[in-house]
Amino acid sequence: MKWITREQPKIDRIACPWLIKNFVDTDAEFIYVPADKVEEQAAILNAIPFDVPGVEFSHYEDKCTFDYIVEKYKLTDPALKTIAIIVRGADTDRHDLASQASGLWAISAGLSFNIKDDHELLQKGMMLYDALYSWAKYLQKEKHTNNPVDHIFIDVYNKFIKQKTAQKKTPAWVKELKQIIQDQVDTNLSLTNISKSLDINPSYLSREFSKYFDNLSFGEYIRKLRIEKAIELIKEDKYSLTEIAYLTGFSDQSHFTRIFKQHTDKSPSAYKKEWIKSKAGTKS
Amino acid sequence: MKWITRERPKIDRIACPWLIKNFVDPEAEFIYVPKEEVFIKAKALDAIPYDIPGAEYTHEGDHCTFDYIIKKHNLTDPAILQIATIVRGADTDSFHLAPQAAGLWAISAGLSYNYKDDHEMLNIGMKIYDALYSWAKYVQDEKHTWQTK
Repeated sequence: MKWITREQPKIDRIACPWLIKNFVDTDAEFIYVPADKVEEQAAILNAIPFDVPGVEFSHYEDKCTFDYIVEKYKLTDPALKTIAIIVRGADTDRHDLASQASGLWAISAGLSFNIKDDHELLQKGMMLYDALYSWAKYLQKEKHTNNPVDHIFIDVYNKFIKQKTAQKKTPAWVKELKQIIQDQVDTNLSLTNISKSLDINPSYLSREFSKYFDNLSFGEYIRKLRIEKAIELIKEDKYSLTEIAYLTGFSDQSHFTRIFKQHTDKSPSAYKKEWIKSKAGTKS
Repeated sequence: MKWITRERPKIDRIACPWLIKNFVDPEAEFIYVPKEEVFIKAKALDAIPYDIPGAEYTHEGDHCTFDYIIKKHNLTDPAILQIATIVRGADTDSFHLAPQAAGLWAISAGLSYNYKDDHEMLNIGMKIYDALYSWAKYVQDEKHTWQTK
């Protein structure tokens, strides 16, 4: 196929051709045209437009076109996942995402400054991504991203896959996921986000989830953990109920009160009062 | 002059030739030989040995050969000084020295893995340092947003 995008590529419009050529469409041809000509030329040349707003192959959420291609074609090579984060960091000015992003950006910006011919730039850029790929696949000793949670999810996912083939009774990923949820119970964990990070269909994860988590749905399980934590905090007697709602990941007090009541049949303040009373009682 | 060093260059033995060729000795020729032959061949070919213990041009304290060349030849271009920190970070595994060091290391390590011919590696590496130089000198304050301005 022909693939078309805006001229003067720097990061994503070099990284995507490299990805497409090596992992998606080995006969791919790449065309660079002025930004306002992409749509028109795509139609004339029967080419797939990419990395321009309003097309399928483009940025989405906080991710870039490279991510989209990895996701769309279900590319699971871990080296590509590593590169995707670096590319995203360099391309979206989020150099905190991966420690290699700043260097990739500097070299790419400099190459683009030095080489004005887009196809010559593409050719040099291809070598850059070949190099990053070899590094990611064979040479990196440790991961350098500042987003450990992503990596935890990826690790769990790998275990999930292994487990699936092994067909054992209690999958290792369940234990891991339990741990993650426990550690992250005060954050905005959602099944959609986790399934996205794990690259697993949300409804599948949701179905599998209750099998291993006391027959509870993801939401029920999280709420149960949060209330258990809230009770612990109430007993510590160090925080106000407002603080406890916040510390257990509830966005507002009334939501906290409602859920708390569902689980304990008491409001948090009633629970607290009774507990203080019972403690005073044992002391005397 | 001829300049000679150990084979299989990655960072310093690519960055130094780039620096020498562009800012010290435009006629420079670069030779890569097995480590144990560097001083023998240096004598035989009348070449300057560099980036090897025992040579004048080599690591000094926590500074690398690139730093030494800058000092020795009084280079003051701020872009060069900035690249020196990046090179030092990448070459001495001290990625905290410059944000770009980890990326330079990853790309250089990968290039060295992909290109087994030292001169081909040098040729590509030169382009990398040309790019870093242009970035440091002209475009480093630019932010990248993906939509065209």
